[in-house]
Amino acid sequence: MQLLLLLLVFLLAACGNEQGEDADTAGLRVYHHSSDGAPTSLDPVQSATLYANLIVVNAYDTLYSYKYLERPYALKPNLAAAMPEVSEDGLSYTIRLKRGVRFIDDPAFADGIGREVTAADVAYSILRHFDPESRPQGAWLWQGRVAGLEEWKAAGSDYDQPASGLEIVDRYTLRIRLLNPYPQLLYTLAMGYSGVVPREAVERYGREFGLKPVGSGPFRVVSYDTEKLIFEPNADWRWQRVDLAAEGFDPETQGFTGIAALDGQMPPFVDRFEISFIKESAARWNSFTKGNEIQYAGVPVELADREGRVLASKDPVKLIPEYAELYQVRSDIEAGFVYSAFNMDMEFGSDPDPEQNERNRALRCAMIKGFDWERRNDSFYLNLGVVFPGVIPPVVPEFDPDAPRDSVTRDVAGARRLLAQHGWTAEALPAMVYGTVGSVRSRQFYEQFRAWMMEIGFPREKIVLREYATFGDLNKQWRESQLPLISAGWGLDYPDAENTLQLFYGPNKAPGSNSSNYNNPEYNALFEQAAIMLPSPERTAIYRRMNQMLVDDCVAITGLSRTRIGVWHREVLMYPDNSIVGGFFFPFVALADENGLRLAAEPAPEVN
Amino acid sequence: MELFSYSLRKLATGVPLVIGVTLVSFLLMVYFGPDKTFELVGKNPTQEQIDEVRAQLGYDQPMVVRYAGYLREIVTFDFGSSDSTGEPISSILARTVPISLAVALPGFVLGNVLGVLLGLLAAFYRGAWPDKLIMGSAAIGMSISFLIVIIGFQILLSSSSGLNLFPVRGWSMDSFGEYVSYVTVPTLATVFVALGYNTRFYRSVIVEETTRDHVRTARAFGVPSLQLYCKLILKNCLIPIITRIMFSIPFVVISGSLLIESYFGIPGIGKITYDAIITGDQPILKAVVALTAIMLVLVQLLTDIMYRWVDPRVSLK
Repeated sequence: MQLLLLLLVFLLAACGNEQGEDADTAGLRVYHHSSDGAPTSLDPVQSATLYANLIVVNAYDTLYSYKYLERPYALKPNLAAAMPEVSEDGLSYTIRLKRGVRFIDDPAFADGIGREVTAADVAYSILRHFDPESRPQGAWLWQGRVAGLEEWKAAGSDYDQPASGLEIVDRYTLRIRLLNPYPQLLYTLAMGYSGVVPREAVERYGREFGLKPVGSGPFRVVSYDTEKLIFEPNADWRWQRVDLAAEGFDPETQGFTGIAALDGQMPPFVDRFEISFIKESAARWNSFTKGNEIQYAGVPVELADREGRVLASKDPVKLIPEYAELYQVRSDIEAGFVYSAFNMDMEFGSDPDPEQNERNRALRCAMIKGFDWERRNDSFYLNLGVVFPGVIPPVVPEFDPDAPRDSVTRDVAGARRLLAQHGWTAEALPAMVYGTVGSVRSRQFYEQFRAWMMEIGFPREKIVLREYATFGDLNKQWRESQLPLISAGWGLDYPDAENTLQLFYGPNKAPGSNSSNYNNPEYNALFEQAAIMLPSPERTAIYRRMNQMLVDDCVAITGLSRTRIGVWHREVLMYPDNSIVGGFFFPFVALADENGLRLAAEPAPEVN
Repeated sequence: MELFSYSLRKLATGVPLVIGVTLVSFLLMVYFGPDKTFELVGKNPTQEQIDEVRAQLGYDQPMVVRYAGYLREIVTFDFGSSDSTGEPISSILARTVPISLAVALPGFVLGNVLGVLLGLLAAFYRGAWPDKLIMGSAAIGMSISFLIVIIGFQILLSSSSGLNLFPVRGWSMDSFGEYVSYVTVPTLATVFVALGYNTRFYRSVIVEETTRDHVRTARAFGVPSLQLYCKLILKNCLIPIITRIMFSIPFVVISGSLLIESYFGIPGIGKITYDAIITGDQPILKAVVALTAIMLVLVQLLTDIMYRWVDPRVSLK
């Protein structure tokens, strides 16, 4: 019986085609990427997640993009012909577009042929964020910054009416007028939210536009479902020979990838780009190690944690010899961080009575002292995360490596002392509701947190777990200011500490991004002062002062930037970066074989 | 004529069932399901933006109005578009249900056919070692978590550290060979788990039939065992067998299998339904619940007709 079953299995296996290659892709240069999550929409106005952003910045053009390799991240013109002309007062940005850029062919256009991208398209794409029908998610980037947008919305979001802050000077020139200087403006024009879309396609496809991208980016979407997206290079895109120096190549830190071979070569280097959306780490790893399926993956934590299983060492990150022969590895600090913020509108927070306010502050500070970041790092982040004080993460230029580390150093005695000094006995301590999503990992976070709080004097029953079935439910509680502790992660939208400091800016209180409802007039004033300053030592000093205020006020238990370990097959030449600011690496992905770089039989025409 | 009038009566009595199921599920969705609003508004919304999205989702409407709209959708078979992707529900179902069916059907058929055969074998050798072996294996199959089975089969048959015979993930029906290649491991995993439950059930049904007087009489008259089991006993067991199989069909057709589809990268209705549940995508949930309820009513009718076909003594009145 068993023999028959085995024979049946082999017979069935023989029936299948050679895995990983079929008649459609035979002979093509196909790169199989993977992502640990899937986008729900490819509409730029709904590209809030990094999964969506990754796709959108490659299917659509943004005015600016980040250089492939330069770190810290640096902008370069993309659809824009050059960096903008900025008026002396910083309120006017004149941006000229490259000419001859075309949308891909689509039935939405006359005769189905993609037309040229114009300044009106850029304006339209931004205006969509102020049209409720679009269900936009990116309005916050330009609301209160670009003139006339709220008025345009209040007047009925009529696309045939202009918005005063988006002046179409001529067919290829857009002038953006600001209410106040906005140094981060160009970063916003490199985000997926600002992907340029054609009005005809949006109106034709309506709600389905999120499934049918019609852009002018380096790739066009061939197919898209819940499991996979397939890109093909856009033959009409402005491919140019790779200039690694201009892209910020650092041979010392990036040379190991083999991408030096791309210098001077003409992309695209792949004929097809497949992205599999695989949330389950075990399935993703099995598919990666199979050899002829996905070529990029993250190392599952449960495997990475056991030295000798996948990693030969964690510091530095090195693969075991068996894997090192087959794969490249890169470990990178995320562009973001995890933290837990106190809800300042609840029992632990601000109080109009100065004495109670100080008591509450002492309580928060004691909890921060009781938190063990090193242990958290070791237990859940492979001890590779970077723990830092405050909310300015290591990846931004304003990070202060010399900032005092008291707030991230465990001090149980100090915590107990603080509680005792301010009358926080076991009976007086309020119950702390720990809200989280119902999952094994979240439960483990809670139990670890509870144990630490018990050590500083919290009775066990006063650290109360409240589990929510979905992240949506938990998010709702944060937005409606229902929980005393908000444990969250934040992915940087752009490499500027303003993006994390705004998490505690008073006017951004819930339901906005300031879920902690921190509202310090001095902090707010500093934020507003810095918000109109260009990067400078003075601005950095203000940022760091604000950061210290958050630390001194014990507003949050913060923070840790996780280290992501990515592995990819050696025949793939790339420097991957899946963060929101890093998604522009797709056009540079290349494949090699025993003869070297696999180039196209007929290179794409070069566009100057 | 009798059949026609019976069918009409049966369908008519199915209407309250559909209403009941949809009402209860709708109330659960609305009062206990996730609030889709906060997923749609992004990172830093204003209260105005939240209110706009809530209005678009219809969350500001009275319950009665919303449920009336749901009933209208059921009658017209137009459930609108997904709140997540904007894709019309009809398009989602047309795209994913055939895939889920193609994934689930082989395992469903094999699981039941083998279950009946093994159940017969176990009943025939009742008390002897074949019976114990089959029942023991069934217990093992039932005890192991489906997730473990999936991962185990994936590693054993698909991964480079196993036999490496099949793809780990993916789906294609462009050719029969590709289809077999992608469906084999999911089918084996499904059969491994389902077979235990099916075998135990069918064995108990068959064993009960063997204790009947007519079987004892047939044995006494020297009817050969093969004929006894396959013709007499099995035929009399068809009613519970048909019941079990038929009532599984709606869940095979509409609901799909989340675990199978997630782990094997199959773009079926199961994963979409699961995502809809955890994100509160109500149009998808309403469609799946309504269609499952309708299918159950149709299955009930078909089952009754099949009873009549299998057992002429059954009257459709």
